[in-house]
Amino acid sequence: MATLAQQIVNGLVLGALIGLIALGYTMVYGIIKLINFAHGEVFMVGAFGAHFTSAYLLPDAMPWYAALPVLCVAAVAVSVTVAVLMERLAYRPLRDAHSLAPLITALGVSILLQEVVRVFYPGATAPLPFPRVFVDSQLTAGSLIVQWTGVLAVAVSPLLAAALHWYVERSRLGRAMRAVAEDPDTARLMGIDLNRVILATFVLGAVLAGLGAVLYGIHYGQIDTTMGFQNGIFAFTAAVLGGIGSIRGAMLGAFCIGMVKSLAGQYAWGGAQYDYVWVFVLLILVLMFRPQGFLGRLERVRA
Amino acid sequence: MTLDRPPVRHRKPAAPELPGPAAVLLRLRAPAAAVLVLAGALLPWASVVLPGGAYPDLATLQFFDAPHLVTGFRLHLVLLGLAAALLPRARKPAAIGVIAIALVHMAFLTGLGALSIGGPVTLAAGALLLWAARAEPPRPRMELKTPPPAVAWLVLLVAFAALLWLVSATLTAGGQSRATNPYGGAEFLAFLGFGLAVAGVLSAYGVLAWISAMSERHRIFSIAVLLGCALMLPFTQAGTGYWMTVASSIGVYAATAIGLNIVVGLAGLLDLGYVAFLGIGAFTAANLAHAVPFPVAALAGAVTAGVFGVVVGSPTLRVRGDYLAIVTLAFGEIFFRAAQNDIGGLTGGANSIPGIPPINVLGLAFNEPVGGLPGGSRYYMISVLMVAGAMAVLANLRRSRTGRAWLAIREDEDVARAMGVRTGRAKIVAFLVGATLAGLAGAVFAHKLGTVGYESFDFSESVTLLAAVVLGGMGTVPGAVVGASLLFVLPEKLREFSDYRLMLFGLALILIMRFRPQGLVSSS
Repeated sequence: MATLAQQIVNGLVLGALIGLIALGYTMVYGIIKLINFAHGEVFMVGAFGAHFTSAYLLPDAMPWYAALPVLCVAAVAVSVTVAVLMERLAYRPLRDAHSLAPLITALGVSILLQEVVRVFYPGATAPLPFPRVFVDSQLTAGSLIVQWTGVLAVAVSPLLAAALHWYVERSRLGRAMRAVAEDPDTARLMGIDLNRVILATFVLGAVLAGLGAVLYGIHYGQIDTTMGFQNGIFAFTAAVLGGIGSIRGAMLGAFCIGMVKSLAGQYAWGGAQYDYVWVFVLLILVLMFRPQGFLGRLERVRA
Repeated sequence: MTLDRPPVRHRKPAAPELPGPAAVLLRLRAPAAAVLVLAGALLPWASVVLPGGAYPDLATLQFFDAPHLVTGFRLHLVLLGLAAALLPRARKPAAIGVIAIALVHMAFLTGLGALSIGGPVTLAAGALLLWAARAEPPRPRMELKTPPPAVAWLVLLVAFAALLWLVSATLTAGGQSRATNPYGGAEFLAFLGFGLAVAGVLSAYGVLAWISAMSERHRIFSIAVLLGCALMLPFTQAGTGYWMTVASSIGVYAATAIGLNIVVGLAGLLDLGYVAFLGIGAFTAANLAHAVPFPVAALAGAVTAGVFGVVVGSPTLRVRGDYLAIVTLAFGEIFFRAAQNDIGGLTGGANSIPGIPPINVLGLAFNEPVGGLPGGSRYYMISVLMVAGAMAVLANLRRSRTGRAWLAIREDEDVARAMGVRTGRAKIVAFLVGATLAGLAGAVFAHKLGTVGYESFDFSESVTLLAAVVLGGMGTVPGAVVGASLLFVLPEKLREFSDYRLMLFGLALILIMRFRPQGLVSSS
C-alpha cells in the first residue's frame, strides 16, 4: 500500500514535469503541424543554462528564494534563444517543403543540440549534479516520502498550464494563434502576421520548457544530455494521449504518462527495466485506436 | 502546409558593359584566378615541419628542393587550376573543388598551429574563380552523340574501370589509421573535394549524361561490368584485410539502407526505428549459427525480420505521416530495451552474443585469406552480391505495379486510394520487403563480426541510416549505396573527429533538407 502511494506520488511529479514540455509540443503541432522533435532539447539546454549560471556565475552561498528565480530566468533565456534560432534558421525556410523535410530537419536539430552540449559543455559527457536551490527536505507520512521540490512541481505546473490556457483564450496574440491553427491561409488574409504568431508559439513553448527544466533539475538532482530526448518522447506521447492541440489534454495526458511509467515500473511484467517500454506500448495503442486523444478533435483531411 | 511562399528569385540581370580598362579587368578575372590557383598550389602550406612528420605532399618549403615532385593535393590543385584556365565550363566546379581543398587543409593546419600562406592564397583564388564563373552567362547544355555499340562498350569499360580506381583511391586516401598517418583525415577530405570537382567538370561537359545514356542503352552489359568492377576491388590497392572489412561493413549498411529506401524513399513512410530489423536479423542468425548452415540462418533472419516488418507496418493502416514516424520510433526503442535486457535469453543483454562462427562454405571459412587475397575479401564479395541483389529488387519493384502504388501513396495517399490503389496492402508490402532486406543484411553482419550486441542497434544507427538515404537521394536506386558509403567511410577516415560524428550528421540532415532536399543522386 505504501509502495503504491509512493509510486502514485512519483508518477504525479513526473507527470507535472512532462506536462510542461508537452504544452510546447501541443502548441507547435497545433499551429504548424510539425512534430518538433527538438522541443525536448529546448528543455535540455534550459537545464544546462541554469546549471551554467549556478556553477559559474552565481556566488556559492545564496538563499534559495534568490537563487531559484535567477536560475529560472537563465533557463528560460537559453531555451527561448535556442527555440527562436531553431525556428528562424531551420524550420521557417521549409514551410513549403515536402512533408518529410521538416520532420527530418527537426530530428537533425535535436541531434545537433544534444551533441553540441555533450561535446562542448564542460563535464556534460556524464550526468551533472544540479544545485539544490529549493527547500531540500521532505514530508514524511509513515513510509511515504514527498520531497518539497515535488510539491512545488505539482503545484506550479497546472498553474502555468492554466495561465497558458487563459492567455491563448483571451489575449490578442492567443486569438491570432487559434486563427492560424484553424486555417493559416485565411488567417493571413485577415491580416495576421504568420511569422510573428509562429515565432510567438515557439517562444511560449520554450518559456514553459525552461521553467520545467529548472523544476526537473532541482527535483531529480542531476541533468544529462539525453534527458531532453527521453522526456521529449514522453511529452509527445502525453500530448497525443490528451489530444494534440489541446492544453488541458496535454496536462491530462502527462499525468497519465507519469502514472503509467511509475506504476508499470513497479507492478508490470519486467519491472523497472521495462517501464520505458510500457509508455511506448501505450503510445502505439493510443495512436492506433484513438489518434485524436482524450480531448482532441478528429482532424479534417486537408487538401 | 502552404503558409509562406518564398519570393520567386530572378537571376540578376547581367551588369552593363563597363567601358575601357574596367571591362578588361573583369574579363581577366578568370585567367588571373586560375594562375593564382597554380601559384597557391606551389606556395608553402605548412610553416614548420610538425612533430608528427612533415605535412603531406611536401607542403612546406621543401618543395623548392624538388620542384618536379608535385604530388597529392598540390597536384590536384594544379590540375584544377589548369582545367579552370583551359576549359571555360569547368570553372565553377573547379572553383568549388579548390575552395573545398583549401578550407580542409587550412582547418587542419590552423588546428596544428602551422598555417602558412599557401592556403589563404588558394582560398582567395578559389573565391575569385567562383565569382568569375558565376558572372558568366549560362551556357546551353552540352550533348554528346551516342556512339555505335562497340565504341560505347569500350567507353563504358573505361568509365567503370575509372570508377573502380576512384573508389579504391578514395578508400585508401590518407592511409588507414592515425598511427601511420596523422594527417589522413585532411588528405581524405581534400581528395573527396577533388573527386567532386572532377565529377562536376565531367558533368558540365555532358560526359556523365553521355555515359549514363550509354549505360541505359546497354543495360545488361553495364550492369555486368559494374558488378565485375565491384568484385575486382580486392585486387586493387584497397585489397588489404582492413579495407576489405570496412568495405564489407559498408555493404551490410548499404543493403539495409536500400531496404529503408523502399520504405521511406518509395512509399514515403518515415521509419525512425529501422535498425531494429537489422538487429532482429542479426540476433536470429546469431542464435541459429551453431545449429544450421549459413544460408538457412540467413533465410531465418530475413524471414523473422520480415514478419516483424509486417507487425511494425500494420499500424500504417490507421496511422499516417508524422504519427507513423513516432510509432516506428516507439517500436525501435522497444526493441532496443528488450535487447538490452536480454529478453527471453535471446540477445545476451549486456554480454552480447559472442563466438558466432564465420560463414563456412564447403569447409572453407570466410575469414581466412585465400590465394593472394586478404581475409575478409570474401565477406566483401558476399556483401557486394547482396547489395547488387538489393539494388535489383529495388529497381524492379520501382517499375512494378506495387512500386507505382508506392509512388502514388508517397505523393498523395487519399488520391491514390481514390484511384483504386489498395493502399493498405501496398504499405504493408513496403515494410515487408524493406525489413526482409535488413534482416538478410543482419545475418551477414552477425557472421562477419562474430559477436552481436544490442549497442549496435540504438537510435543513432537508425538516424545514420536515414541520413544515408536522405543524403544519397530518396527513392533512387544508387542513392542509398552512395549515402551509406559516404556516411560509413567518413567516421572510419575521421577518427580524430569521432566525437563530432553525430553532431555533423545532425547538421548534415538540416543542411541537406534546406539546400538539396533531393539528395546527391536526384531522381529526376
